[in-house]
Amino acid sequence: MEAYRQEIILGAVFLYMAFCIVTGIWAMRRTKNSSDFFMAGRSLGPIVVSLALFSSTLSGFGFVGGPGLVYSIGVSSFWMVVISSSGYAIGFFLVAKRIRMIAELRDCISLPDIVAARYNSEVVRFLMAITIVLGVMGYLATQILAMAVVMQAILSGTAMFAEISLVSCVVISSAVLIFYCVTGGIIASVYTDVVQGTIMVVAGGLILITATAVFDGGMQEATSIILADDSEAIMPFGAAGIMASLGWFFVFGLGLAGQPHLITKMMMNKEMADNRTIFPMSLFGYVMAALLWISIGIIMRAAVIDGVIDPLQAPDDAASVFLSIFANPLLAGVVFAGLFAAIMSTSDAFLNIGTAAIIHDIPKAINGKSIENELFWARVVTVLLASVAASFALYSYYLDATLVALLGAFGWATFAASIFPVVAIGLNWKGATVPGAISAIISALVINFSVQLAGISLPYGISGGLVAFITSLILFLGVSAVTKKPSIGADIEQALDI
Amino acid sequence: MSNKLITVIFTLCLLLGLLLVAIMLADEVTNAGGVPHSEIAGMTAGGDGALRLEHIGIYAFLFQSLLLLLIVCLCALGVSPRYRSTAFYRYMALCYGLMLFIWWQMYSGHQQFLQTDEVTYFMGFPTPSAWQMYGTWLGAIPLMLIYTLGFRKFIYTQADDEAFQALLSKHKSTTHR
Repeated sequence: MEAYRQEIILGAVFLYMAFCIVTGIWAMRRTKNSSDFFMAGRSLGPIVVSLALFSSTLSGFGFVGGPGLVYSIGVSSFWMVVISSSGYAIGFFLVAKRIRMIAELRDCISLPDIVAARYNSEVVRFLMAITIVLGVMGYLATQILAMAVVMQAILSGTAMFAEISLVSCVVISSAVLIFYCVTGGIIASVYTDVVQGTIMVVAGGLILITATAVFDGGMQEATSIILADDSEAIMPFGAAGIMASLGWFFVFGLGLAGQPHLITKMMMNKEMADNRTIFPMSLFGYVMAALLWISIGIIMRAAVIDGVIDPLQAPDDAASVFLSIFANPLLAGVVFAGLFAAIMSTSDAFLNIGTAAIIHDIPKAINGKSIENELFWARVVTVLLASVAASFALYSYYLDATLVALLGAFGWATFAASIFPVVAIGLNWKGATVPGAISAIISALVINFSVQLAGISLPYGISGGLVAFITSLILFLGVSAVTKKPSIGADIEQALDI
Repeated sequence: MSNKLITVIFTLCLLLGLLLVAIMLADEVTNAGGVPHSEIAGMTAGGDGALRLEHIGIYAFLFQSLLLLLIVCLCALGVSPRYRSTAFYRYMALCYGLMLFIWWQMYSGHQQFLQTDEVTYFMGFPTPSAWQMYGTWLGAIPLMLIYTLGFRKFIYTQADDEAFQALLSKHKSTTHR
């Protein structure tokens, strides 16, 4: 079997991609209007929503960057993972019920629709839509690039595709993504998420078993090796230190309820009562998939320190090197399919919300109405958005990484700082005002952009995202408290009372 | 709606902001955010743990203690004020107590290790890290339990459902008129 390792991995990835294409064709028949395309007609069951929710949370970053972070800085990055139970709790307590109610009441198909209804303000809708488009471009470009790099690594290991270029890999992987997103919209997206989520759970569990068998003494031997080398790396705050760790806890925990690609999924379930099962199922899925992040990272750091393997060329190689050395070829095939699943499940969610912002929200904020024939334009813009993001990815790889890095700054932390106060708190506090919302969004964008542009390094590993988040929360609450309470629709007022 | 609770949340955010400023103004040590590993390129080491906490340890401990309180308060904000009974607040206080206990075990266990260099293990990890790894994850499970098991009592009751359906019907009849 070892002799066919590359072929097995390639076969698993090919099967997975073929499944995505078939799902796209199937979902096309169920997509009859823009509500189906963006919201799946608000008709999804709890299992589908749970799997879609957690698989979108854990992107390619979780499968590639996560183990790399543990390899590089020890357990500091665990804080991004262990916060998930609190993060999901905040998301469900603050957002799930109200966003679902307003979505049904006002027939909303996007997050900017929700905030426009809540604040009765097109300015807030516009700012939210712009934030989403900027963030989506950065996220999509990095996800497409990651997908292409992994595909090139797999294909170049075979005799037939040994010389395949990165451009070809960008084209192939983007084509599959675009196909199922264009044909089936969010319906294809969430049903591929179901399989993507399942693969990620299975991969996480199997990798944990494989990882604990690498050292005779299991995980304890691995952590002992790390402790003997540098105790701080395996103590609770890791090599990056206490404030970097607690900052991640804050931004990744509270910030989960500010991620547009996640909370949009909370608008799609059929029954409100399904939330009580969606919450534990999503959390379970996330924890299982995150086992890969933790176990590969620990084992690779210990194996390199112990001299079992040579130092990695780059920390992000941790997962692929682990799979090539320690994993059975079949398991490697499942995990590589899981990796594509993780990247694609996040990418399709971003593609969907980015398209909604462009064809639905920005025209509505400017002209007071959305464009004619939304479904047709949704499909056109999905292709354009993915193509532009793929171009950004290639430009970043070959010419200049600054642009994508800048857009990448509009990642998790910026969404968290700009969207969390406005949506999560705003949907639960009638005193939230338009000036409060505007100041929160603008301060989040300015601080994150400034820190990134100026390359500012804060003391004790404090991240710009943490500063932006706390500032936006204070401004949102403070400005709202001293400005005039807005007039909001009677129906929204009643919904906020329920 | 929620005026007292929102005041508490605002106060907590201000205190967190102040603590962050205090930490940024504290004397920095060379290994505060880690240093390159002496032998392995691409790896970062923490170095002297006691030194890293010398100027900011207490601020960081308070920061996390307040952050955990903020998490519990935000969850409470998501519950309609009419369902925030004394029993509900007691339960939420217990949730916070559990999260604080786990945080204290982790922090004090780390401090103890720094002083004695002695380490015990629990399920593969040094005990302070096991509190981080397993404890932090499990510490918020009571929040999930009250959401899931108390859904019809605290989150979305039968009366809420009826009120929402009535609102929906009224809104549809108005917009379709």
